[in-house]
Amino acid sequence: MSIAGISAPIRRGEFSPGTTAAIATLIAGAICLALEPLLPWLVQWPAAWTLPATDWIGVSLTWFLEGVKPAARAFSEGMRYPMDWANLALNGTPWPMLIGIVTAIGWVVGGLPMAALGFFGLLFVLASGYWLESMNTLALVAVSVPLALILGGAIGILANEFPRVKSTLQVILDIMQTVPTFAYLTPILLLFGFGPVVGLIASAIYAAPPMARNLILGLERVEPEIKEAAIMSGGTRIQQLFQVEIPSAATQIMVGVNQSLMAALSMVIIAAVIGGFNDIGWEVLLTMRKAQFGQALLAGMVIVVFAILIDRISGKLATERKRHDSRVFLAIIAFSAIFAVALRTYLPDPSELTLLAPVAESVDQGLTDFTRANGAWLGAFKNNAVFFVLLPIRTGLDQAVLPFTWGFAWTAKMSALLFITGAVSGLILAWQGRLISGLSLVIATGMIETGIADLPWPFVLTGAAALGWVAGGRRLSLWCVGLLATILLSGLWERALLSLYLCGTAVIACAMAGGLIGLASFFSPLVWKIMRPICDMLQTIPLFVFLIPVLMVFQIGEFSAFLAICAYAIVPMIRYTRHGLVNTPEEMIEAAISSGANKWQILRDVRAPYAAPTILLGLNQTILYAFAMLVIAALIGTTGLGQSIYLALAQADVGMGISAGAAMAILAMIADRLVQGFAEERRRVLGL
Amino acid sequence: MKPHMKNLVAITAAGFMCGSAIAADLGDIDDPIKLAVNEWTGQHISTHVAGQMLQAAGYKVEYVTVGYMNMYQAMSDGDVHAALEIWSSNVSDDYAKQVDAGGVVELGDLGLDAKEGIAYPAHVAELCPGLPKWESLRDCAQVFATAETIPSGRLVDYPADWGTPGADRMTGFDLPFKAVPAGSEGALITELRASTENKSPLLIVFWQPHWAMSAYDVQFVDLPLGNEECFNDPAWGANPNATHDCDFAPSRIFKAGWSGLQDKWPAAYQILSNYQLGVADQQPMMGAVDVDGGSVEDVVSTWIAENESTWKPVVDAAIN
Repeated sequence: MSIAGISAPIRRGEFSPGTTAAIATLIAGAICLALEPLLPWLVQWPAAWTLPATDWIGVSLTWFLEGVKPAARAFSEGMRYPMDWANLALNGTPWPMLIGIVTAIGWVVGGLPMAALGFFGLLFVLASGYWLESMNTLALVAVSVPLALILGGAIGILANEFPRVKSTLQVILDIMQTVPTFAYLTPILLLFGFGPVVGLIASAIYAAPPMARNLILGLERVEPEIKEAAIMSGGTRIQQLFQVEIPSAATQIMVGVNQSLMAALSMVIIAAVIGGFNDIGWEVLLTMRKAQFGQALLAGMVIVVFAILIDRISGKLATERKRHDSRVFLAIIAFSAIFAVALRTYLPDPSELTLLAPVAESVDQGLTDFTRANGAWLGAFKNNAVFFVLLPIRTGLDQAVLPFTWGFAWTAKMSALLFITGAVSGLILAWQGRLISGLSLVIATGMIETGIADLPWPFVLTGAAALGWVAGGRRLSLWCVGLLATILLSGLWERALLSLYLCGTAVIACAMAGGLIGLASFFSPLVWKIMRPICDMLQTIPLFVFLIPVLMVFQIGEFSAFLAICAYAIVPMIRYTRHGLVNTPEEMIEAAISSGANKWQILRDVRAPYAAPTILLGLNQTILYAFAMLVIAALIGTTGLGQSIYLALAQADVGMGISAGAAMAILAMIADRLVQGFAEERRRVLGL
Repeated sequence: MKPHMKNLVAITAAGFMCGSAIAADLGDIDDPIKLAVNEWTGQHISTHVAGQMLQAAGYKVEYVTVGYMNMYQAMSDGDVHAALEIWSSNVSDDYAKQVDAGGVVELGDLGLDAKEGIAYPAHVAELCPGLPKWESLRDCAQVFATAETIPSGRLVDYPADWGTPGADRMTGFDLPFKAVPAGSEGALITELRASTENKSPLLIVFWQPHWAMSAYDVQFVDLPLGNEECFNDPAWGANPNATHDCDFAPSRIFKAGWSGLQDKWPAAYQILSNYQLGVADQQPMMGAVDVDGGSVEDVVSTWIAENESTWKPVVDAAIN
């Protein structure tokens, strides 16, 4: 447990906050454990105690939506114009022309390598036969990303200028990122009407927070001297902000732009669920429905190609001032125009091309061969992971240890032995002066015995309150309890615990693996060269695509869902770890070198502490991503909140969708606030 | 085509039916009629046949991709004008709401005969020799057990938002199986594919007409034919203590449209209302698209050209 070692006892005979919190949690846990057989309502919140909040939300929201509907419909009429223009521009231009333009832009920005990337990337799209669908998708992204950047930028600047609203804005950002899009699709549909505009708005909402967060972080990090210089040169506040501070935060802002683009592209599939737009996401959905992995991957790769192109070109544009010869630019454009005009009658219709169909088929065949060859040991691996890790964490040792899983049955004697071992080890730790570690160990023993899904709610509430108190004082503590209580009262508790268990295990796995990969990418440029496109792919390819091979090998169930969540949520951890380590200011490194520090010492004493806030931002994003993936994971049949959201979507039940979405957001936000609270504490201890 | 498919509704019957219909105005032929294209091939075929019939009558037709579960709001707003293949076994609650609100109207049955049931790929009969008798599942449960369901067998059920017919049957027949919701149709198909390719055991809730029925040689478990009592009266059937100890109730496949359809395009309303498409026609076209790789437009155009006698009367009755 992360309470350990944060603060030492202040005075003899008086407990530190950490110790008090741990003792309170332990007592609550012990009481619940003792009373559990007598009072079943400790574990199962009785249905009679729940408030019909879902219905209330449904009724009041529907009423509210009807009220603002005219304005929303007007907005969507207005958005139709830029959408239509973008569509017309992209679909009206002959394909050789478009390939020429992108290649030429690539040349100007990054010379031959970029030009080649643009050329071959679009050639791939052309060969895939999804040209028309891709252009429709690009039109959507072309309109939604500026919308997201403006929205995110506005929130970021607002938070920077008015520190008082900052915490409120942070909550709004969290809500935007954690309430799953599927939860509010029904209300958006009702508000804005059917069509691509719905997808546009959904993706803008989802893509704005990374921009806002990075803008806030970037502005915070502008050196005080630079700010002072701006003030002294006498500019207005607006001038200071736009001419000095934002340009100096450019690198961090570009991370935000990049992440916004990726998020917008990853939302393409959501737009497709509603339809109204013959786009690439729709193709992915169709192929996914037929379990055609090769074809689905091909369609998904088209999105990845766009993501990589946009990312690399925008990255170069931001970091490098050097521009390549514009005569070549004009020559490429002129050539492609001549090509398009001269051969216009011979040009194949891009929708008719199926050059890559054989590749897709062989990929599909490859998957078949792979599952046939490796199914046995992968199946055994899964069984072990389920029997010995996932099942015990979920239902506890008392229910997970059975003759046909572990080979023997769990007895009361074993429980007693487990508790005695836990208590003795705890005592030894306490004896050595590590009181909090000892207490945490005993609490953890109790949790393993019970399982997360069966934790009594008074224990969870006390635990959250205790953690909140240690991490952020009384306010955070009350905040945690208040929010958890709303889940309890809304009757979604059981589902929420299941979601918590699945996300929690995934986040821990991602934090460990992602941190290590990020570290390796920092040390070895080669590793980063390999990891970077993989990260891009994982973040932008519609994850539906990967559900097919995961299901082929591991079947419907929690383990598949766990893998799917990890695949998506690990990316920010890798990215931010590396970014934080690489971007330590040169002066600090030089100072360390001149004082004789070696590479490892620099990493440990200079880079790591400086990178800590960035890495924690990565962890925060990993938590939010994991919760975001819960809904997609529900497509492979998890129970929990994700499933509720689908149920609500199918029944067009506004209240249930929003309640389940809110419960998910609450869990994510509590986890996030606790992490940030501890991070703050760490920073204070390190004197940052 | 499955040989045991019965009750094929011949499209010619529909021709006679609407022979008596009164000819109607075409209405606004400059504005395209928007037909919903949902997520599966069978629906694409049903929609394109209807679309080509409307075109033959002189209408402009636009095919709009729209999510099956979320289309009724759009239909009620008049952004989509008709959906030609709605399954009663899996219809969004929103449909009833929009019909009540007056934005959506039903356009009658499509005439497609559907069957749902507990199913398995053919090779599973070797792993559980008593199949297709349902009683044999009791002794075979261990064969179907996995890490998540042990010691019970595993039944892959419909996604939770389609209902839980599989779980209901397992309790109904008191079989030692745990029903696992699939989450999506893609997951169901992937399970079928993995099972067929690896020759692994699989028990799944499935339906026809569906292209996967023949692609993975899916067979239904024989369940005792039920009636209304089976779903209400526990005493009925093999298990005296539970309802649902019988086969699935037959599901209805119907059409629906925007409530303004009749006023704006009277003849189109009549054509779509009388339009029928049987399994015998739809299933071969599905095969031509999903197995042989043809495009929906081409396959349907060929069918339209070869089967004029079946669809032409419906169009003629409406416009002449």
